[in-house]
Amino acid sequence: MISSISNTSITAPLSKINISVIALPAALIIMSVIFSILDPVFFSGQNLITILHQSSIVGIMALAMTFVIITGGIDLSVGPVLAIAGVLCAWFLQISDDSVLIAIPATLSICFTIGAISGSFVAFIGLPAIVVTLATMSIVRGAGLLIAGPSLHLIREPESFLFIGSGLIGGIPVPVYIFVVLAAIAIFVQKKTTFGVLVSAVGDNHRATFLSGHNSNKIKIICYGLCALGAAIGGIIQASQVHTAAATYGAGIELDVIAAVVLGGASLMGGSGTIQRTIMGVLMIGIINNGLGILNVQIEMQLIAKGAIIICALLISQLDQRRSK
Amino acid sequence: MTILLSARNLTKKYGSLTALNNASLELRAGEVRSLVGANGAGKSTLIKILTGAIDANQGKVLLDGVPLKLGDPTTMLEAGIGCIYQHSNLVPALSVLDNIYLGRQPVLSFSRLDRKKQRAEAEELLLKYSLKLDLDAIVSTLPTVRQKEVEIAKALALNAKVLLMDEPTAWLSHTEVNNLFTTVRNLQASGVGIIYISHMLDELYAICDSVTILRDGNIVEDCAISDLTRQELLEKFIGKTLAQAATKTNQHAQKEHVPEDVILRCENLSKKGEFDDISFDLAKGEILCITGLIGSKRTELMHTIFGSNSLDSGRIFLEGAEYENRSPANAIKHQIGFVPEDRHRDGLMMQANIQDNLLMVSHDKIAKFGIVNQIKVDQRVSKQIKQLNITPADPNKIVSKLSGGNQQKVLIGKWLELHPKVLILDEPTVGVDVGAKSEIYTLIRKLRDQGTAIIVVSSDMEEVMGIADRIMVMCSGKKQGIYNAASISQQKIIAYVGGEAQS
Repeated sequence: MISSISNTSITAPLSKINISVIALPAALIIMSVIFSILDPVFFSGQNLITILHQSSIVGIMALAMTFVIITGGIDLSVGPVLAIAGVLCAWFLQISDDSVLIAIPATLSICFTIGAISGSFVAFIGLPAIVVTLATMSIVRGAGLLIAGPSLHLIREPESFLFIGSGLIGGIPVPVYIFVVLAAIAIFVQKKTTFGVLVSAVGDNHRATFLSGHNSNKIKIICYGLCALGAAIGGIIQASQVHTAAATYGAGIELDVIAAVVLGGASLMGGSGTIQRTIMGVLMIGIINNGLGILNVQIEMQLIAKGAIIICALLISQLDQRRSK
Repeated sequence: MTILLSARNLTKKYGSLTALNNASLELRAGEVRSLVGANGAGKSTLIKILTGAIDANQGKVLLDGVPLKLGDPTTMLEAGIGCIYQHSNLVPALSVLDNIYLGRQPVLSFSRLDRKKQRAEAEELLLKYSLKLDLDAIVSTLPTVRQKEVEIAKALALNAKVLLMDEPTAWLSHTEVNNLFTTVRNLQASGVGIIYISHMLDELYAICDSVTILRDGNIVEDCAISDLTRQELLEKFIGKTLAQAATKTNQHAQKEHVPEDVILRCENLSKKGEFDDISFDLAKGEILCITGLIGSKRTELMHTIFGSNSLDSGRIFLEGAEYENRSPANAIKHQIGFVPEDRHRDGLMMQANIQDNLLMVSHDKIAKFGIVNQIKVDQRVSKQIKQLNITPADPNKIVSKLSGGNQQKVLIGKWLELHPKVLILDEPTVGVDVGAKSEIYTLIRKLRDQGTAIIVVSSDMEEVMGIADRIMVMCSGKKQGIYNAASISQQKIIAYVGGEAQS
């Protein structure tokens, strides 16, 4: 049967186009065209930058989340981690006399550790990731409120910190650059490093990875650490953007992050998924939010439309996967 | 006897490739017909048409003279064509009874299960076909052969008149195969027509009446199996050259065991509940076959040596120095390779491509600071694909899309990349077609001649007698003995395997 499969794909490449592969890019283009027709403002260069800007925080978190989902796990705690990162950063700035070089690395390492701890429970004890990170979600939110209380904390200083979220380089907001650079790094890690290969291997067949001499627990723990790191970067950008930190930020953001990854085609069963397609998923959600906003659709309708579009996109890829089986 | 199933002029095309060309096949009530062909010959296409998984471009299928709608699994099931697949389709956590009636239990009002009726019907069924099953046993606790029987009962509960059995013995040991054959003969006597697919020639001759041979999508032979010798049968479906290579297996030059060359020595290995006081040694450039029944704990012993199973007492020496079986990582560091029995569960990343699988144990070595060197990867992978004759020769092909034989080659290739000093292969040819089998044997012999110390765990006597230099027999966790392959008969080995004391 092998020869038959390869032969057909050589002789009839056009008839074998995989709908699940092109569905997402096609949907991106179709939606852009529709929004542009409905309101030409959508297609302006300025608005495209705005879309990227609006997507950057969810985007950065989705890059890291992709690795966790490829291992067959999930991390629900990214919202509270985003919030606590802002709070921690504000606090470190205060006690370190506004030193960004102390505050940011300290925040990032604490958040990485939080992720690694959830990862350890998943890896060593074998608890389901959804339960562990649900618990982490609650603990981190609680810890954030304990540190910062329910109030907003203003961050006026230093300039260098505010530049991260609000600065412009050549007219383009800094968070866009951060997203693009991190995306490039994530693609490189996935495609060109042994770590990238092993992340997929762990999600695909945990036992075979172990029997191939690899420490699959370590890989899982690093992935959860990275996921929290992504959330922490998102939290720092957000705190810098709005000049405030609060323990209540980021509620519900995990839904957008996970939706972006899943829209990109990563399987929640693990083993498959790519960073490039996650980026497409991020753009998809960004375009929906932005386009509906430009069209002045009520927020209630926006939420419903967003959900419907996500379901449709997933449906198309799922139907096609079934047919090819 | 009456013709039960008749497939007429079936043709199936995929694009420009004809997978099945004008194939016709007849099956009588009470007949066991074997369907033989190398991978890609059109066997699975024919089976898929008969089960309704795919439609045919031309031709029809008649059951009891009534034409059936093709490409519809429900039609086929309801008409009475059942299929026992190679891999289990049972729900392991449910009882035998629930599995037999899964999804179509007799019900009372308000969807309450009619337990009494269900049990009565099942008991009647088991009696009718002389199946001995405990209806209340949980499927996961049953040995593999019993699970196969549950699948058979499940098909029969649907009033199957025709049973397709796709490699039903692939995961069974010697005695279990005999049990299954008894069941098949009972079915035969009650008038069920059976299409039996297997790569084991022994089985075909033991159980089948007639044979249909497929090659490149065409039916090349349709006759009583007694009309063909083994050699003729092999030549018909794999072609002359490969057939010669496959039979050469039996004319293999055994190597003497040289005590000075011992590389791995195991002393008094014991683990409670698994194996007890096992000692053996293994020299460079020899093949030690470990054989025994399922449950003789051969696999557990291998996992212990490899470090993925623990040890209560005993010592292992590698190249004269004491070796600690800490972990697979440690074994790999010492160049011990292990091709596990269940390639889907323990061996391969099914969603990953050939390249990533081939380099799964060795990519750390060809990466610098964790960054993959694509040029070196390409070189290694293409060399390995060529050496092992993996088809298609495409490093980016996803492993789950390969045939069993090619998957096995990828798995073996992964360990060859380690350049192992000791290579353990657990049932290396289960579910592999005859062509790939002989290629794997050739490869194992070549490795031996290059000085690799090899352990092959196998239940297949033909295989053991064909490739072993020495044979170790295990029976319920104990060593029965070690024998030189040249000086022991197959019959004796089989007797020892069954636990018979040595004379």
